[in-house]
Amino acid sequence: MTTELVDDRPRVLVVDDEAPLRELIVVTLGDEFQCEEVSDGEAALAQLRKSPPDVVFLDVMLPGLGGIDVLREIRADPALRDVGVVVVSAWQAQEDIDVALENGADSFLPKPFLVEDVLTAAHELVGRRR
Amino acid sequence: MRRLSLVQRVGLLAAGVAALVGILFVAALLAILSLRKAETRESHSKDVTVATLQVKALSADLESALRGYVLSGNPRFLDLYAAARARVPGDVGNLHTLVHNDPPQRVRAENAAAELHAYVVDYAQNVIVIARISREVAAGQAASTDGKRRIDEINSTLQGLLAAENRRAKLASEHARDVANVAVGIGIAAIIISSALVGLFGAWVARGVARPVRRVAAAAADVAAGDLAVRLEPGGTAEVGALVTAFNSMTGSLEVSRHQLLDQNEQLREGERHKRDLISMVSHELRTPLAAVLGFTALLLERDFPPDEQRRYLEIIDSQARRLAGLAGDFLDVKLLAGGDLTLVRTPFDLVELVREQTELFFLQPASHRLSLDVPGQPLVVDGDRDRLSQVVGNLLSNAIKYSPEDGEVRVSVRSEGAEAVVAVSDDGIGISAEDAPRVFEKFFRAPDAASTVGGTGLGLAVAADIVASHEGTLEVSSTPGAGSTFVLTLPLVVVRAAVGAEQDAVTRS
Repeated sequence: MTTELVDDRPRVLVVDDEAPLRELIVVTLGDEFQCEEVSDGEAALAQLRKSPPDVVFLDVMLPGLGGIDVLREIRADPALRDVGVVVVSAWQAQEDIDVALENGADSFLPKPFLVEDVLTAAHELVGRRR
Repeated sequence: MRRLSLVQRVGLLAAGVAALVGILFVAALLAILSLRKAETRESHSKDVTVATLQVKALSADLESALRGYVLSGNPRFLDLYAAARARVPGDVGNLHTLVHNDPPQRVRAENAAAELHAYVVDYAQNVIVIARISREVAAGQAASTDGKRRIDEINSTLQGLLAAENRRAKLASEHARDVANVAVGIGIAAIIISSALVGLFGAWVARGVARPVRRVAAAAADVAAGDLAVRLEPGGTAEVGALVTAFNSMTGSLEVSRHQLLDQNEQLREGERHKRDLISMVSHELRTPLAAVLGFTALLLERDFPPDEQRRYLEIIDSQARRLAGLAGDFLDVKLLAGGDLTLVRTPFDLVELVREQTELFFLQPASHRLSLDVPGQPLVVDGDRDRLSQVVGNLLSNAIKYSPEDGEVRVSVRSEGAEAVVAVSDDGIGISAEDAPRVFEKFFRAPDAASTVGGTGLGLAVAADIVASHEGTLEVSSTPGAGSTFVLTLPLVVVRAAVGAEQDAVTRS
């Protein structure tokens, strides 16, 4: 009976200062995942350290601590080493993509993104982790 | 010492050579004149000698005719004597004429003439008279030394005249030779000095030209190699000085031009960078709402949602599409403002009502931020373009939301201050540094902090400021970085009389 009480769906943290985009990702991922949302970098780090998720959808342009800074913190923290990071950005020049990948992003998702790409990225990272 | 110009140097050289040639010419002229004078003198001496010898021959003829007659008694000798005597005035006059300008010779000639006259009158005539009477007595008389003495005297006088004349001629020709020698010496010296002068002056002129020209050539090579800071030491002759000045001013103006070109280039590059930034910013600004519109549309098409969720997603699509339309509007406004084509449709309206409307729009529940609204109970009427002023207030509200943390408080107040309506919008956001504050109303300006974290075109406030300015209002900002910003909009109230009128109406009605 205890198994029914424990939610073992993959956990996803969505970090974006734009509420509609957070909602879009959450709705897209649907019931297969349990999602949490935060709107800035500091909140993201706090949430990550409190309970590390399987995957983070991380926007680059955030008020205060930026997405790339959050990414560096994640990769510098041994406790968060296994968290899959999908960097989401409207800036999508090659150098923007390079900066994200060089800093340890697992995947880069340009805005506007396709619904299936969000799902694919989430599944892939969860599958690799599990 | 002032250096002479090249023209002055060449002029000096020409003058020196001309002076030497002049000296040469004068020396030659003097020599020629001296030679000619000597020649004249010589020919004159020859004439004098001839005339003297004639007189000498005459005296000999007189004596020999006289002796012949005395010894032979032949009257034919008397004819010869008479003929000789007839020649006396001519020959003596001839000699006298030739030497009358020469006092010592004239004295000698006169002495000879007097002695000849004395010989004829005092001696020869007497001897002839005696001979006619007695040839023996006459012969004795003639044989006496008197006649011989007289003739010798005449001859000696004439000999002295000849000797003096010869001396004269010799002296004159020697003088002429000396003068000619001196002239030749002077000529040779003048030629040598001229040559030396031409050589030295040539070297002087060349030195005045060649060295500076080499300097200028070296500097020009530096300029050609790209060093425009090259400057030549001023100095040299006037022409070289002018060349140096011209060269320096040329490199100077080249340097200035290059700086200007570099500046222009930098400006162009800046403009180009600006344009690139703008394009990437615009595309970024468009992508976020576009992502929401496309994403929710795809979800609605692919999946089945309960009606209330469908409605919610449609509302999101609607608001994001409006956001896109707003961006398009901003760009259009910028275009209109840039072209001066923004036309205002002005009507009196209640600013309080406008602010209420806008806050309701921006703080639709569930809102990301808390609103604190402080507005007066009665209307504040301003005369203006309601839509445009809605845009301004909306921009201030959206900025307050955009640049402050979620769940922050946005304070909006409306009040009247004298003849003005004042709308203030404050937030607890990231704020704006003091140096960036005046620039937030510039077109496309984004404060560096904001640009790196918050999307935006940098157009909203620029457009707002223009709209406010064309309503004779003001739009100002005060801010503490990290603590928040307050934007204050003032617009002239045109309502005072209308409000008073309304009150009066109310009074009348009651």
